[in-house]
Amino acid sequence: MILDLHNHSVASDDGRAKVENYCQWISNRKLPLDGFVLTEHRQFDQASDYRALEDEYGLLVLKASEVETDYGHVLVYGVNEDLLHAFDFTSINLSLELVIKEADRCGAIAVPCHPGRPKVGMCAHYAERGPVEGVSVIETYNGGSRGDENERALELAKTHGYAGIGGSDAHIVSHIGRYGTKIDREIKDEEDLVRALRDGAFEAVTWT
Amino acid sequence: MDIASLKKEWTGFEFDTADFVVEEQEMLDFALACGEVEPRYTDATHADFQAPTTFTSKFSGRRILPKDFPRIAKRGGFDAGKCVEFHAPVRAGDTITGASRIHDIYEKTGRSGPMIFIVHRMEFRNQRRELVSIVDWRMVQQP
Repeated sequence: MILDLHNHSVASDDGRAKVENYCQWISNRKLPLDGFVLTEHRQFDQASDYRALEDEYGLLVLKASEVETDYGHVLVYGVNEDLLHAFDFTSINLSLELVIKEADRCGAIAVPCHPGRPKVGMCAHYAERGPVEGVSVIETYNGGSRGDENERALELAKTHGYAGIGGSDAHIVSHIGRYGTKIDREIKDEEDLVRALRDGAFEAVTWT
Repeated sequence: MDIASLKKEWTGFEFDTADFVVEEQEMLDFALACGEVEPRYTDATHADFQAPTTFTSKFSGRRILPKDFPRIAKRGGFDAGKCVEFHAPVRAGDTITGASRIHDIYEKTGRSGPMIFIVHRMEFRNQRRELVSIVDWRMVQQP
């Protein structure tokens, strides 16, 4: 199945899309997505329940988070109560090492996103301070990247042997489905997704 | 800069109010500027004539920030836009009162480095004290 692994709804301070409108867009445009993941900035949206939308549109809607670290922004899949108590999701100065370690310990996975982007991507920080232990997956296709930023991400993945995911980084409705991640198994929930990402059972895809 | 302390000290209290008398022509002008085509926004003779839902976003108070609010920006700042929550129609002849407070202060990082967001919230009520809209104006300061 194909999931778009990086999107923001109105729950993020800069998100302008309602989740229902993402579902409508995917459905009306017949985008080749089986679902998407909401990765709200510096928080985990525990309260929202999208099961009714999933049933109405036949899409999987999962929840994750995008946190901010000393090596740039990082997607965290499989967020649970334990992880929410492990570090402050609102901080903009988290240690990437800590986020990876705690995600691992709590049954989640940390995936640095838009690595080619200045300041908030991993490439620039790797060049200055060297690699970080424990990274296994990065976002190689990011829908919000400009110029050669995705090429830099691909190069980083190649150099360090990281697997790559794809995500649109949509903040408005029409941006969903620019990139996705093809997973070689059925995903029903966040735990399935974490297992697939840990197993390397996926590839970043685009059709634009 | 300690954002938690800044937020604790400066959010939640009203620091300014301003009154605005709404005229028919400015409602029509605003509707035209927005590209509205619905008669209730574009036709002053319509039975339900009212201002477009984002109308109050045009109003500014007398102060942007409370008196003595600390200077944050070293590299500059910019406008990050307004978000309008509509509650009730604004009609021609209404007197709208806007009350300002700092609703939130938070940090994030972007391509240009760290940023501090200040959310200026204006609550607009009509002459009957009915809430007509809430406008959140995000201002970015680069420390």
